[in-house]
Amino acid sequence: MSILLTLYVLVWPLIVAGVLFVIVRAFLREWRTARAEGRRII
Amino acid sequence: MSGLQQLPGSVAILLLLLFFGGSFYMSVRISKKKENADGYMTGGGKIGFGISAASMTATWIWASSMYASATSGYTYGISGPIHYGLWGALMILLIYPFGRRIRAVAPRAHTIAEVMFARHGRSSQLMLAGSNVLGSLISLTSNLIAGGALVDMLTPYTFTQGIVAIAAGVLLYTLWSGFRASVLTDFAQVLAMLGAVAVIIPIVFFTAGGPGLFETGAANLTPQQQDFFSSDAFYNQGAPYIAAVLAYAIGNQTIAQRLFAVREDLIKKTFVTATFGYGAAIIGIGMLGVIALYAGVEPLNGDVNNLIPQMAATYLNPALLCLFFVMIIGSLSSTADADLTALSSIVMADVYGQNVAGKKRANPRTMILVGRITMVVAIAAGLYFAGSKLNILDLLVFVGAMWGALVFPVIASFYWGRVTNLAFSVAVVAGLAAFLPVRFSWVDLSGGLGLVSDVVSTLGVGIVLGLMAFGFFGKRVALVIGAVATLAAAPFTIGFLHTYPVLSGSLVAYAVSTVVCVALTLRNKGTFDFALIKERTGDFDNEPGGARPADEPRQGDPVAARGENS
Repeated sequence: MSILLTLYVLVWPLIVAGVLFVIVRAFLREWRTARAEGRRII
Repeated sequence: MSGLQQLPGSVAILLLLLFFGGSFYMSVRISKKKENADGYMTGGGKIGFGISAASMTATWIWASSMYASATSGYTYGISGPIHYGLWGALMILLIYPFGRRIRAVAPRAHTIAEVMFARHGRSSQLMLAGSNVLGSLISLTSNLIAGGALVDMLTPYTFTQGIVAIAAGVLLYTLWSGFRASVLTDFAQVLAMLGAVAVIIPIVFFTAGGPGLFETGAANLTPQQQDFFSSDAFYNQGAPYIAAVLAYAIGNQTIAQRLFAVREDLIKKTFVTATFGYGAAIIGIGMLGVIALYAGVEPLNGDVNNLIPQMAATYLNPALLCLFFVMIIGSLSSTADADLTALSSIVMADVYGQNVAGKKRANPRTMILVGRITMVVAIAAGLYFAGSKLNILDLLVFVGAMWGALVFPVIASFYWGRVTNLAFSVAVVAGLAAFLPVRFSWVDLSGGLGLVSDVVSTLGVGIVLGLMAFGFFGKRVALVIGAVATLAAAPFTIGFLHTYPVLSGSLVAYAVSTVVCVALTLRNKGTFDFALIKERTGDFDNEPGGARPADEPRQGDPVAARGENS
């Protein structure tokens, strides 16, 4: 039970880190594209 | 305060300067000497996935949601954070089909209220605009209060100094570039928030005792708190929240604004990512409440809102406490700047653009000035309310129910051509009128009226679930799910539901507004041409910076009157 509860507590920061990775990767890609095209990212 | 670890004053000031100074620097980097009015409201409608997903996540996560999730974990035990965070997250997912429909019929709109004006007319527009002004002001106030309380608890400075510093900081970076500054800084804020969540939760968990905590602290939990399927948690937290957040998601201008800003083909991807980001972050923060419960922590001064800062001050070292401080400031700033830009857009487009100057005479330069003045007035109002003794949660529940009464009429207006302005307006007023006596127990619900309330609320259960199904599966499946849910719930809810006034009030608002809207709509034999909305909601500004292709109409261009029914 303790192991399951530990996993239950720790799985959320893991998912958060995954989402953060996806967002940062997409942002960097958009930033590079905008820079190459000579325009603002927004 | 009460022996808790605090940040030195100089460190707190340095962190605030770094945070707001960095946000201001980002804002300056994208600023233009002459801002475009449409860009000021929606960023031109072509924002990419990275920024829009970050912005949607950051806006949906606000300081109060972090505090509330931890409170839910502490109050209802291991299932508590799920009953706060999961439902909130699913709502982001559930509204994206509606978002795509709204964007398809009004690709160049700025506010939901503006679309309602194009669809129905002035009264529908003003109902949505009014509810959003109230909701955003309350949200702004709530975020300032959360920031003030944080500064008061974790630094040597006072609550008042805290709210003034945060209000000034948010206004500083949002004022010039509006929505564009809001979404770009959301990216940096989401980095800080999600990064902090990923680091802080495991550290607090292991510092508080790690896996052994679940054995040594089990005695601190009641059987309901230990139960992952706790009915107590569902009826008191989960169910009312499901009804409330559906309303928040549909009626909220901060969400609608991002919907109109993101590139149309990226809506689904953005909403799905925000679902995971919001859900995991908020449930994760809720785990601090669960850990506090197992560790036997008593909230400072008996106030559960102190729980998160208290856990941070107890279990984190000074460096991580700084990270925690930035995380909370990031969460409240991202929502506060979204509230400011939502308010400015409503006043720019719905008040000035369509009701004061008129569509044809609206001057883009004046619009931007109106938007900036709105932000200053709004932040002043937020400061005033934050310093008073208003019960923010009560006000939020009130606005939530008001939006509950709007949900069906708004959704139906985008799909059902027969819905009229009269049906929309009367349905909303009727829903609200039915909500008030139930929510605030103005009438005795122990007798026959309680039974009536239960029957109507049970119908509300079917309507909420039917609406959720409708977005994904269409009318036929929605009707089946709504009917089955109503019949299945009836034996359990009738004679019982009125004992939960928060939940009943919300469900009654859904049910009454739906029934009235349908009844009045069926009387109308005409149908509306949805293509008119696209023609009536074009850009206001032709200056560079907007994204309007040459063949798309501008606000005020002549519109052929066809299919008008209301």
